[in-house]
Amino acid sequence: MPEHRDTAATYHRYHIPTQPAPDIEKWPSRFKVKVRRAGLAKLLISEVLHYGPRKDVILSRPCMYGVFSGPVGGFMPREEHCVGCLRCTTEFPEFVRIEHNPERRSLGDSYFTFNYVDQIAYEASSGLVPVRGAGYRGKFGGEGWDGMWTDMSEIVRPTRDGIHGRETISTVVDIGYTPNFLQFDAAGQPIGNTPHTLSIQLPIVLDGPQNELAAGVAQMYARAAAELDTLAVLPFDYAVGLAAYGAAVVPVLRPEHARRLSQLGFTPRMVEMQGWDEALYSAITATFPDAIVALRTGFEETGALVSYAQRGIKVFHLLADFHGRSADGSFVLDLIREAHKAFVDAGIREEVTLLASGGMIAAEHLPKAMICGLDAVAVDTPLLVALQARFGGECSARGASSFRLPGNLNATWGVQRLKNLCASWRDQLLEILGAMGLREVRRLRGEMGRAMFMKTLEADAFAGLLGYTEAKNG
Amino acid sequence: MASIANKTDEQLIVEKHISNLHNGFAHWPRAEEAPPALGDSRWTQDLILATWLMAETGQVPDNGLEYKIGASGGGFDVLDFNIPNQDQWLSEDTEIDLSLPLNRRDDGAQLKINIPMYGGGMSYGSISEHVMQARARAAQHLGTFTSTGEGGYPPSLVPYKDHIITQVATGMFGVREETIQYAPIVEFKYAQGAKPGLGGHLLGDKATSAVAAMRESVPWVSLFSPFPFHSVYSVEDHRKHVDWIRTTNPRALVSVKVSTPTDVDMVAVGSYFAGAHIVHLDGSYGGTGAAPEIAKKNIAMPIEFAIPKVHKYLVSENVREEVTLMASGGVRTAYDVAKAIALGADGCVMGTAELIAIGCTRCSNCERGRGCPFGLTTTDPLLQQLMPADWGQQRIINMYNAYAIQLRDLLRKLGLRSIRELRGRRDLLKYVG
Ligand code: SF4
Ligand code: SF4
Repeated sequence: MPEHRDTAATYHRYHIPTQPAPDIEKWPSRFKVKVRRAGLAKLLISEVLHYGPRKDVILSRPCMYGVFSGPVGGFMPREEHCVGCLRCTTEFPEFVRIEHNPERRSLGDSYFTFNYVDQIAYEASSGLVPVRGAGYRGKFGGEGWDGMWTDMSEIVRPTRDGIHGRETISTVVDIGYTPNFLQFDAAGQPIGNTPHTLSIQLPIVLDGPQNELAAGVAQMYARAAAELDTLAVLPFDYAVGLAAYGAAVVPVLRPEHARRLSQLGFTPRMVEMQGWDEALYSAITATFPDAIVALRTGFEETGALVSYAQRGIKVFHLLADFHGRSADGSFVLDLIREAHKAFVDAGIREEVTLLASGGMIAAEHLPKAMICGLDAVAVDTPLLVALQARFGGECSARGASSFRLPGNLNATWGVQRLKNLCASWRDQLLEILGAMGLREVRRLRGEMGRAMFMKTLEADAFAGLLGYTEAKNG
Repeated sequence: MASIANKTDEQLIVEKHISNLHNGFAHWPRAEEAPPALGDSRWTQDLILATWLMAETGQVPDNGLEYKIGASGGGFDVLDFNIPNQDQWLSEDTEIDLSLPLNRRDDGAQLKINIPMYGGGMSYGSISEHVMQARARAAQHLGTFTSTGEGGYPPSLVPYKDHIITQVATGMFGVREETIQYAPIVEFKYAQGAKPGLGGHLLGDKATSAVAAMRESVPWVSLFSPFPFHSVYSVEDHRKHVDWIRTTNPRALVSVKVSTPTDVDMVAVGSYFAGAHIVHLDGSYGGTGAAPEIAKKNIAMPIEFAIPKVHKYLVSENVREEVTLMASGGVRTAYDVAKAIALGADGCVMGTAELIAIGCTRCSNCERGRGCPFGLTTTDPLLQQLMPADWGQQRIINMYNAYAIQLRDLLRKLGLRSIRELRGRRDLLKYVG
């Protein structure tokens, strides 16, 4: 067989197959459509009198989206179809009123606002990049992620049209240990520390809920992670029994699991240790000598990370709360920068891997978090929102937040929703990388020169204006 | 009934909706309460309704609508003018000059526009031909320009060619020798603010036979404008582009439209040295066409930050007086224009404001289904009739007239006789954030 056929037969290009996965639980519509019946009836009568038998003219209504095309037209508008274009209320201000639906706006909480929920609902149901007309609609900038812009290059785009599949932009990241340099003996054989990593195909790890919610979703997360070629971090008790997806499952271990490691039923490629525990660490390295051991801990531990690295931990999964805050109220963007810098200052940043969770709830947070210093994001609450979880009030504390999943959750739908969300976020990441002219996501890590911050830009632009210094100094 | 009997259903349907829409555009700005779902932080209810009112009357709103700023909490919305005491104002009858020369070099035609604004590129295919005609006729009436965008040059625009900028963008759609020769200004679109570094994308549904013919493509097939220009990797390559235009049309001025990366100052200087007459900065918060949401919000810097950076750098390089700096991307009002100029631009390029004048509600559904329900960003044969070109033309003229009144009034109060005197006058601005 000619060589090119062999190549074609074995050719594999990473791709996430998306499929529509519409909502299974009916969510409140985005808009309320209010039609005063008396006004509508009056209009119909006047049009009948005016247009006589010209039925098509009389029945021609302003809405192109089917809101008034039910059996009784505008008398019972089908508001789930309304996209808020406002043509009807422009044509008939006297009796049609379009309002934002407060029920829809109450989805999520004060950090995970309904705009983010809406966005994720679209991404998880379609797998597509959200595209809309008419420019940006939001606030100018703000705190945290909103005060950060990514860079672009006017003429340099080595990746050309990577987003459209014509040239590769790699989103592979490596997790584990890589020595700063390799050493060889006289015979040319490597000596000393050698790399110990695993690769995932996108800088997203699925961070499962660490409570009883995991019972409903653990298998979905594991299967989705396996199909995406990434990892799902799950509580030990729910990881047990997921041997079929073992290569993708990262069990979270606590001291009490030290004696039960063999119950896992598979040899994990990576485990997470919930907080440092010497005995547990020894048990893990004895039972799973080839597994990568990550330390799962709060950002409060940043000061001690380098010392953990010296004790053998090379992967850190740092946690902020679901609103991206640490105990002292610092925001995850600054926390990541601080953790990254701690390793840079110690001269070992290349040796370790930094993952983080908390407060990264939109596709744009992915490249921004990596620019700040992460290797990959361990996504948490967005996955629950992709599965149409409803928030029980404010959900910030990891231990005390309550989410409710739809009662009719099923695995095929759930896996597809998770894959769709990851596909959409990956494609959006490709857009950002393409605009910068970057060919691989690994180059984004810690590239602060690829970011612009509102604070500095504003000071550069407005310093010296009357009132600026006073306003900024309080 | 006779007039009804003589008309087709389609004519009656179009007339009925046009009449309803026009009543609505007149009703809402004067109503006690705005439509509850209208507006957003950048284009608030008041800004949209005030623009509708200006487009109807040609005058500055006097009914309490906020027509100067939005509610975005940053940029132009936290800047104001530091108006001196009344005894320093110029008298009411002082002539205030709003004209702006576009060519500061000693080659090419010496073009001047009557107001410090012209219309930005919106392509055939992304907007209807009626909208293009309305914009072109308004530009002719106002003594300024509008741009074709990258979708080609419909023959119906040729009568207005002295007021039309031909855009040459990365897809080269509709770029022909004659369209370059028509043009007093040729605009190279390197990037656009709403989707910096991403090129363009016209969905297959909008690539009708007419659009495909104009773009010399296959009907109903999606069209990508790649990024970047595949022939430009350096200032020298860019220079070759400029030379190519100058060979085809030696009179034409060359404008270079770029986005706002962190090194936007270098890009601007590079464009100047490559021979550009106009450097057009397109900030990240504008845009009329469809763009990925992630790009609109996150890539490249807002125009308010890019203008002073570029202005300062051009001054320090000693070339500021040889190049015209135009700003766009989130310039919504006459006051935004004035602030952009005080920050260092010479003038502004307008897009969304013109669409709002002709009925856009900023609903962001341009790419959905048949396109814009108001007949603006659509190629649907029925829908595009909802915005007749003569009506649109007058609305755009009126809006700019109201802008001109505001600019003259502001300059008079600042003690300036010409818009050109405002450039770079940061001392006249104050921060109110
Ligand atoms: S706002 Fe638009 S989509 Fe909603 S009902 Fe009215 S015409 Fe239809
Ligand atoms: S679809 Fe909406 S946003 Fe787009 S042009 Fe029409 S009215 Fe404006």
